[in-house]
Amino acid sequence: MIKNLQENICDEMLFNTFFKKHAKDLHDFLHYKFGNHLNPKDKVQESFIKLWENCGKVKPEKAKSYLFTVGNNLMLNEVKHQKVKLKYSEKPQKHHTNESPEFLMEENEYMQKLQAAISNLTEAQRSAFLLNRIEGKKHREIAELLDISTKAVEKRIYGALKKLREDIKEI
Amino acid sequence: MKREDLIKKWLDNELSPEELKAFKQFEDHEDLVKLANGLKRFKVEDFDTDLELKRLNASLKNKSKNRNNWIKPILRIAAILTICFGSYYYTTTLNTNVTTLASQKETIDLPDASIATINAESSITFNKGKWSEDRKVTLKGEGYFKVAKGSKFKVQTNNGIVTVLGTEFNVKDRNNYFEVTCYEGAVNVLHKSKSVILKPGNSFLVINGEYIDRTDVSLKNPSWIDNESRFASIPLKNILLELERQYNVTITVNNIDEEQLFTGSFTHNDIDVALKAITLPLNLTYVKANSMIILESE
Repeated sequence: MIKNLQENICDEMLFNTFFKKHAKDLHDFLHYKFGNHLNPKDKVQESFIKLWENCGKVKPEKAKSYLFTVGNNLMLNEVKHQKVKLKYSEKPQKHHTNESPEFLMEENEYMQKLQAAISNLTEAQRSAFLLNRIEGKKHREIAELLDISTKAVEKRIYGALKKLREDIKEI
Repeated sequence: MKREDLIKKWLDNELSPEELKAFKQFEDHEDLVKLANGLKRFKVEDFDTDLELKRLNASLKNKSKNRNNWIKPILRIAAILTICFGSYYYTTTLNTNVTTLASQKETIDLPDASIATINAESSITFNKGKWSEDRKVTLKGEGYFKVAKGSKFKVQTNNGIVTVLGTEFNVKDRNNYFEVTCYEGAVNVLHKSKSVILKPGNSFLVINGEYIDRTDVSLKNPSWIDNESRFASIPLKNILLELERQYNVTITVNNIDEEQLFTGSFTHNDIDVALKAITLPLNLTYVKANSMIILESE
């Protein structure tokens, strides 16, 4: 993997490969953790620029966690723990046969509850849970991204699920 | 298998077909699937990796222009160093110049143990940096030198060059008046094409381009060092010029032969005494008003 790379990633080719490998993960992570209103795409750009500027100092095996730390910090510099309200697509994932007005209304209601419930998750829970549920990441992969143990990821995700279900019932 | 473990496995998409069957037996299994499907609708808009990479490379290129920034501070340091070395070089190689005004005397320690004393309205120029290679001073006016033993010591004047090894001598270089007096050691005077070696007590005198030969000095050092100007058969004109320099006055003469020779001395401390010392022997009178003095014959 990255260890196969040379001393550092100052080489343009290697850097581009590294970008292709990690940019999307970083973006998704930032998006689910902090929401879209802080423009995670720009933060991804900034993070990689930082990495490039410091490519001589950052060891290749640390580059990924460096990247995620920088991205996270860039977000934290702006966000003051405001509520994260993620957007969902208007059209439902599955087309049910009975798309009666009642059903659609119910469906809408459910999505709004879900949105509110997601906002109530902690940042750690939300990022891990949504990377798993939406991006289909394995626990192991998330653990690697966030530099935590698989057990911790499992705990976050399961905790998030539990909390979501409770919230939805309550609302 | 416990319910919680099954759900966790479901979350990680790791259920085996049997486990999936068991999972589907849960009464809330529908809820979980509904939730999972609902969550999928929160998927982030597509992140176009290639497009973002292009964007990144574009901004990095812009930055790389600025990456040459490290040159700027280095240039700054270089500029400062250049100025420091430049001014150091300039000041060390710069000529030192000492100038006296009328009625002023100055003693200058030259870079070695040599000493120069310059009389009123005189100036001396020398170079500290080159002193060890070339002991040379440029003199305008009158100066008395005590030269430490060493390499050649040169005094350059408009009228001639005086070269010595280590000695004491006086050089007087005024308009149309050039006098060198040796007090110790030996002095070589080069005037136009004439080269004369002076022994202690000898002096070399040129007035109006005319060489006057004489050996008269019995003093240890020039009289002006002791605040007295002493003359032996010197035209009155030169004496009055010296008087002007010592007292910073202007002297006008009426009907007096300025070429007549004068032997005598005047002090630098009291202008009335000095004027009397000059006028009495020559039967002259003087009128003094501020810094204007008029001399007349009786």
